[in-house]
Amino acid sequence: MPVLTKAMVPSAVATGGSTRVKARVAAKFKKGDKVRTLNLNPLGHTRLPRYVRDKVGVIETDHGVFVFPDTSAHGKGEKPQRVYTVRFKAREVFGPSAGAKDSIYADLWDDYLERA
Amino acid sequence: MAKHRHSEPPSDPALRIKALESLLTEKKLIDPAAVDALVDTFEKRIGPRNGAKVVARAWVDPAYRKRLLADATGAIAELGFSGMQGEDMVVVENTPKVHNLLVCTLCSCYPWPVLGLPPVWYKAAPYRSRAVIEPRAVLDEFGVKVGPDVEVRVWDSTAELRYMVLPERPKGTEGMSEGELADLVTRDAMIGVAKLASGKKKKTPKAGGLKSRRPR
Amino acid sequence: MNGVHDLGGMQGLGPVNPETDEPVFHAPWERLAFAVMISVFAGGNYNVDEFRHAIERMSPADYLSTSYYEHWLHAMETLLIEKGAIKESELAAKWAKLGKGGA
Repeated sequence: MPVLTKAMVPSAVATGGSTRVKARVAAKFKKGDKVRTLNLNPLGHTRLPRYVRDKVGVIETDHGVFVFPDTSAHGKGEKPQRVYTVRFKAREVFGPSAGAKDSIYADLWDDYLERA
Repeated sequence: MAKHRHSEPPSDPALRIKALESLLTEKKLIDPAAVDALVDTFEKRIGPRNGAKVVARAWVDPAYRKRLLADATGAIAELGFSGMQGEDMVVVENTPKVHNLLVCTLCSCYPWPVLGLPPVWYKAAPYRSRAVIEPRAVLDEFGVKVGPDVEVRVWDSTAELRYMVLPERPKGTEGMSEGELADLVTRDAMIGVAKLASGKKKKTPKAGGLKSRRPR
Repeated sequence: MNGVHDLGGMQGLGPVNPETDEPVFHAPWERLAFAVMISVFAGGNYNVDEFRHAIERMSPADYLSTSYYEHWLHAMETLLIEKGAIKESELAAKWAKLGKGGA
């Protein structure tokens, strides 16, 4: 890639760099599906926070196909897959001290999830 | 584990960045003129005034509001805002029954095209740790009262979707122009750590800097 | 990785303490750190996931005790050296030169 020059700055900023991938990857889940996050503890990069591992939630939105950070951070390729917003009850995640009505949403890749 | 480096960096970050910039310029890996242009863009041109315009438009135009909630990227682009760290946007709406709060627990993900660069507190350990586990206490620290009948929704930007809150339109603003409405909208309200007071006109500060409520 | 950056749910880290009317950058060096990072990124020298992971690999004590843009400095230096774009010796020579008031 060429060096970013002053002339390129406005369009670089206005375009950015989406990590969406134009790949046909079937969705494992759809809105409303009950899912459980996996208890993954990789030594490398992941975007599955500890606080939301092995928790049950519901698929809120299917955002489409994106680069998978767990491989992309280590030169292991894009491994494109679906990203979903998953909704969790706050008490499911943090127990009885959490608000009864409250919820937590996290954006999670296919590889982080299984059907519950 | 961090790769072992043989030389400890100097403690002065100004020295470190000057050294890096100088070396990268010599190796033609960066263009110093681009560096200056980027500073100018994010210090002076891109900031929460952008998001405020989006909010005001959504308040006055119900069809725009619908588009914004269904396809935030497209609707925000209609107003001319797009790009870096906002390529894939989601807007979440506050209502009398739902209060939304945004966080990036893992780093500092934030919707640059509509809010500019994030404040220090958003990127720091206290907010990132507490927003998910005790959102109501965090809101309280910001002076925001949320009743027990209201659902607090905390959105953790773990992927590349970037979020913005559409705050509730304050009472007493009927008849205000879109520009006047935009002047009411604070950055903090678009993160979810502020609610907007009714009908009070606030002076529009310069681009990039908006008052945050300071707790006592 | 189960690093200290994975902060969601941790306790005891204190109040949020927002600064009123805070500037976009708190010092001239922060402007440079921001813009150099974006320039290097836009030039395709690393991707966002590598960048984040480089920060995650900081020593936990350093991560918690240094400022945000110092994290960016650490990540840039680490990645550019690991990828062979710069040599650590070259960088150290620059530090020495600038430290003595050179350019």
